[in-house]
Amino acid sequence: MDPARRILPLILVWPLLAVGAAAPAGPDRAWSALADNRPQDVLRQLRRDADSRADRLAWAAARIGAQPATDANMREAEAVLAELESGTDELAAEAAYLRARIYQLHLNEPDFAQAAQLFAELARRRPESHWAQLGLVKLGLLKLYLLPDLTDPGSDRLAAAEALLPRIHEPLLRRDLELQIGQAGIVLHQPQARFLPHLIAAAQTGGITGTAREDLIVQIGVLSERAGDWARAREYFERYLAEYPTNVRAFTIRKKLGEVSHRLAQEGGA
Amino acid sequence: MKKRRSRYLGLGLLVAGYAFALFWVFTRSTPVVSSRPVTIRIAHWQIEKGPPDGVDAIIKRYEELNPRVKVEQVLVPGRVYNQWMRTNLVGATGADLIEYGVWLDGLTDIPARYFEPITDEMMRPNPYNKGTALEHVPWVQTFTDGLLNQRVNAPDPGQFYAVTLTEVSERLFCNQELLRTITGTNRMPATFADLRVVFEQIRAYAARTGRPIYAMAGARDNASWLMQYLLQGAMMQRSQRNDRHGNLAVYPWEELGQYLEGRWSYGSPEVRAGLTMMREVSVNMKPGFVQSLRDAATQEFLRGDAVFIFAGTWDGTSLRRLATFPIAVYRFPQPTRDDPVMGPYFYGAFADGGGGTAMEFYLNKSSAHPKEAIDFMHFMTSVEGNQLFTDHSGWLPSIREVKIPSDIEAYRTPLDCYSFGAEYMTGMGSTVAAAVMRNLYLLTETHGSVDQFVNAMEAAMPEAVRTDLRKEISNRTIIVRPQDVGIMAAAALSRRAPQNGSLPLARERLESSQTQSEGLMLQLGRQLEVAGAAK
Repeated sequence: MDPARRILPLILVWPLLAVGAAAPAGPDRAWSALADNRPQDVLRQLRRDADSRADRLAWAAARIGAQPATDANMREAEAVLAELESGTDELAAEAAYLRARIYQLHLNEPDFAQAAQLFAELARRRPESHWAQLGLVKLGLLKLYLLPDLTDPGSDRLAAAEALLPRIHEPLLRRDLELQIGQAGIVLHQPQARFLPHLIAAAQTGGITGTAREDLIVQIGVLSERAGDWARAREYFERYLAEYPTNVRAFTIRKKLGEVSHRLAQEGGA
Repeated sequence: MKKRRSRYLGLGLLVAGYAFALFWVFTRSTPVVSSRPVTIRIAHWQIEKGPPDGVDAIIKRYEELNPRVKVEQVLVPGRVYNQWMRTNLVGATGADLIEYGVWLDGLTDIPARYFEPITDEMMRPNPYNKGTALEHVPWVQTFTDGLLNQRVNAPDPGQFYAVTLTEVSERLFCNQELLRTITGTNRMPATFADLRVVFEQIRAYAARTGRPIYAMAGARDNASWLMQYLLQGAMMQRSQRNDRHGNLAVYPWEELGQYLEGRWSYGSPEVRAGLTMMREVSVNMKPGFVQSLRDAATQEFLRGDAVFIFAGTWDGTSLRRLATFPIAVYRFPQPTRDDPVMGPYFYGAFADGGGGTAMEFYLNKSSAHPKEAIDFMHFMTSVEGNQLFTDHSGWLPSIREVKIPSDIEAYRTPLDCYSFGAEYMTGMGSTVAAAVMRNLYLLTETHGSVDQFVNAMEAAMPEAVRTDLRKEISNRTIIVRPQDVGIMAAAALSRRAPQNGSLPLARERLESSQTQSEGLMLQLGRQLEVAGAAK
């Protein structure tokens, strides 16, 4: 056979081989690919039964993130995570957290009770791990809205979530749960005194981004005004106008600020 | 001999053709290999007069500053925009920067699926503002409204997704000559009651002269904007009462949830008042106008067949450039406390645009050049870039410190009126919007009535509201699920590169916004659960 003819297929196939070789390999590249929302690349490169535990965790994360997001794929990821969570390192905590999230969010028919149990177990075994702390926030959401049973009118949903707060030592995560308890208090028609302190605690921690931050400042001002706490209402209205002077709500807030300042003056609190 | 001559003729033609081709290739055509290695595309539907010129001016200057980047403006007519966007995004062939609006029918899942958040960039100053008063101001705070509308519509409450190019408001554009001919004066009605008098004068003039002149140019788009405006005003008191969260703003999903809780309906007296006023205006439009789109109303106004047109400032440049008569721009006359229809529900002057910014551009997740696309976003929303846009488009700027030409100063809405955001119409969700537009003729046509519209809407709403709430949850699920993997990845990468401070920050923000989104999804789910199935 003509040597040129033998080389030709190699020349044609070479670019494909080169592309394959350049794809992610190892945990660093795998996590970079996952950060770029390319789970399929990771699944092509890593094996489910890879030698390294870090590779297996990346594979499981990719399995969760890849399409199609079927229950069968989630079960496959869960099996790997269940094996990884038996360790004592941070990777085990990550695996346990992700496993609970599968039950909470990724299955087509979520199993909230199972998710809650897994979050609780993680917090018991590794209370100071970031993933256990984050899991307590997610557990709080489950307790606020879904557990044990929506039809039970007597259950104090806020109390169940509040009980988790002392166990969350990371300030930003604690803030997030405070905010959720506060918002749930409104949705669940709780008395204002029950939920407003949580909103204030969240605002005092700070660091919230997006609309949520702006809303929270307005919210505390308005709810304080409704409760007759003119001083706090004024504090938050002034803060809002200082930070968002051109927002469309500024006109209404200026009016409200005038009213609460008048009240304070009447009561000698100005 | 003859054969030889024809051979020379053929050869001559061949040489001439070749010479012409050479001339064309070297003087007229695009180079085979671009001198600019990166090409990004920006797509939008604002093909009316003005915006394409504004974007062209931005591109020209940007390309001067960035010789390695070429920017192409893709103009897509509004009629096909939805289909164009969906098919291109699905096929991963969409432009790098794409205009999107939350009200676009059937596209509420688009941001979650196809757009990339730009939250981190929003927290930092815009590099193109160096040397201006905004040099050290975080990008988000350089927008006149702090990107309020965009944030309200963001699929994820803790994230920023888009930049805006212009501030919008709604105005009453007036054919001054025609108004003077009919009423004998240039004076504009100051209140809604005055407007009723002018409507009467115009009807009388049309009957007397036989000229088919209407007070208002009509089309379903213009009618829809007017109805949103009037309903928002009529519902101001009730919006305030229903604001249990104390946000001084009612979000679309709250309007839906409050409907399920029975806190408002199209039969509520305030809504009926708003609808009554809408009917008062719409009977002064050409019959059958709901079949027409905004171009028809524009043409009717430009022909001199209508004294006024209620339009967004986005139509201002087209109207002014194309009209053969002087156009004056006014704020729509509002009802007062003693108005016989709206008076009992009067709360105060309500916003006619509210200073919100629009023409939102999102970053396509599939962009091959996200870095350059974000850089172009920076430039177009810098003081220099946005000034170019304003000067060449005749549209208001979205960026502070940009000088507003005197002829469009009237488009600005000063902070002198209330706004609770809720418009109780098409902004709630695509299913409700479709029901409103489907039934609009029952309110606006000659033989229609408020009752007919209310009855039709009350029949449609229970199911439509539930459908839109379910869509809202589903769209947020699309965003929230992949974030678990993103959070894990950010944590893993920051462990491996502890010197990179942005990674832990990105993880913290993602965790926080994910929790907020999940909380909201659960709130919406609870509202559906409590309301039960539609009866």
